[in-house]
Amino acid sequence: MTTVTPDSFSSAPPEVVGLGPVAWAKKNLFSDWFNSLLTVIIVGIFSWGAIRLTSWALTTAQWQVIPNNFGLFMTGTFPSGLYPRIWALLAIVCGLAGLSWGVLGRNVSTLFSRSVLIGLGLVCAFIVLFPPTRPSSLKLLPMVALVAIAAAAGRQAGRKFPSIGKWVSLAWFLSYFAALWLIGGGLGLTPVSTNDWGGLVLTLFTAVSGIALCFPLGLLLALGRRSALPVVRWLSTAYIELVRGVPLVALLFMGQVMIPLFLPIGSRPDRILRAIIALALFSAAYLAENVRAGLQAVPRGQNEAAMSLGLNTPTTLGLIVLPQALKIAIPAIVGQFISLFQDTTLLSIVGLAELLGIGKSILANPSYLGRYAEVYLFLAVIYWLFCYAMSLGSRKIEEKLNTSH
Amino acid sequence: MTQFQTEQPSAQHTGTEPVIVARDVEKWYDNGFHVLKGVTMTVYKGEVLVVMGPSGSGKSTFIRTFNALEPYQKGSIEVDGITISHDLKNIEAIRREVGMVFQQFNLFPHLTVLQNVTLAPIWVRRWPKSKAQEVAMQLLERVGILEQAHKFPGQLSGGQQQRVAIARSLAMQPKVMLFDEPTSALDPEMVREVLDVMRGLADSGMTMVCVTHEVGFAREVADRVVLMDGGYLVEENTPQEFFSNPREDRTQKFLSQIL
Repeated sequence: MTTVTPDSFSSAPPEVVGLGPVAWAKKNLFSDWFNSLLTVIIVGIFSWGAIRLTSWALTTAQWQVIPNNFGLFMTGTFPSGLYPRIWALLAIVCGLAGLSWGVLGRNVSTLFSRSVLIGLGLVCAFIVLFPPTRPSSLKLLPMVALVAIAAAAGRQAGRKFPSIGKWVSLAWFLSYFAALWLIGGGLGLTPVSTNDWGGLVLTLFTAVSGIALCFPLGLLLALGRRSALPVVRWLSTAYIELVRGVPLVALLFMGQVMIPLFLPIGSRPDRILRAIIALALFSAAYLAENVRAGLQAVPRGQNEAAMSLGLNTPTTLGLIVLPQALKIAIPAIVGQFISLFQDTTLLSIVGLAELLGIGKSILANPSYLGRYAEVYLFLAVIYWLFCYAMSLGSRKIEEKLNTSH
Repeated sequence: MTQFQTEQPSAQHTGTEPVIVARDVEKWYDNGFHVLKGVTMTVYKGEVLVVMGPSGSGKSTFIRTFNALEPYQKGSIEVDGITISHDLKNIEAIRREVGMVFQQFNLFPHLTVLQNVTLAPIWVRRWPKSKAQEVAMQLLERVGILEQAHKFPGQLSGGQQQRVAIARSLAMQPKVMLFDEPTSALDPEMVREVLDVMRGLADSGMTMVCVTHEVGFAREVADRVVLMDGGYLVEENTPQEFFSNPREDRTQKFLSQIL
């Protein structure tokens, strides 16, 4: 038994001795014969797959189909003379994205940390070097620069005016209408019929519209389902259970056929609008259950504490219960948004030329017969990029809202 | 311990002006359990009333009827001259005048300590933010949490959280404070700091109803102690008599179990 000297009470945690790569591999991959066997088999399968894929991508694959149709993929049959409008829209989005990033990261010591710089570098290298999308994608380089510049500006502005966040949110809100104007025309711009909206632009437009519509609707349904008023509760429950019992495809077809029946004769809402409504109505039912789960996770004591302070029901809901419930429900809500984004692919079934639909019609062109793998791989990468960005965003928001330590 | 300064004259403990008058209060839970079987009790201005009793005796439920967190089916409760009814406006008016401190603190975890304390004055009393913050900082200083004003509740110890909860209730300048087992969820070494704050509050002349198992606190601070058991109010007595010479056998039995 040794006596403890005051020196041994150091406040620093004990040093963690890192394992060398060989020791790490021995501990984690080759600890006994069974683990070694598993490691060899799994590494073997993966490297075989990776080698096959790479060799296919570099030798057999005929990527020409992508750059030749890059405009189609991005915008469908949007008149090519009006492409500058799409570029302007992209510039707005990139600028706002950079600005938001800068404002949110205003208290981080280095906005352009090494990993961020490496990420930006990789994006640029990809744009410049990746053969399938060259040369059209070279125009994306200034957009990357715009994001970086806007981020730096946003950081400065955010430090000077701490309340700038509200204005950035407002700018995002307004940018939706700017997008509508730039894509659809009118008010001094050449109008573009919705029949010519397509590709990634249509996918993003329907997804954003659907998300923006389904969130408030889902929130109301969740609150309705927990309402003390029986009629409100029954109606909300009935809606949620009905919609969740119907496949989205059925709802989309019904949207195309039935929504006009409910509206006055002569007003035939646009096909895209009908699809967005169907998408939002569908997702709202699922979102409502996610929000309800969050509401149920807020302890009863929170409600009681707020009420005992004299707060009325709407204030209690808005300031105490909902902020906590939504925070709990963020992973599920973002999951629902990702689902909605992927569900936009079903619009191709009702004849809308969104990203997947455009892919199919390009594949139907005799000059690109059999280019399935190239086209679908390209589409998969695009979908993955946006979905991953959403989950990354949700993780960041969760970190930001964590107040437990 | 800094003294609490309020507008009421201090040291005037057992007043004669009733603040809460409960008459024959009866309550059934939704499952049919008869939890309050006709409880009559009056709380006078400036007094400290301690409610004791075994668990399940209905004591928490009883004081929760005072600010309408629990509805009751028979009898009547009058708070500051207003009879509790089912009318929402009436209930909100009563809750503005009655502060409540909970066993589990129930601080709002997504708001800072300062925001917790200023929330109700800003949204219910409609005070300007600057005034609410000024009052909040004074209260936080009095409960000894001033340095933690900009932290979140999750970053504080249990005792600190409960002191913030007391400050949050006081910020509404209530006429009476209800304490529902305020120290039962605390680690033993933190009980004292919370009781000290309550003691200071009692010294300042605040009307208080405390459900607690802290015998020392009841003995030293209470003006009256009541025992509840099985939905009845069994005994009502001065602390000296209650602890050393109780009238009822039931009280004797209860005391022998906790002392």
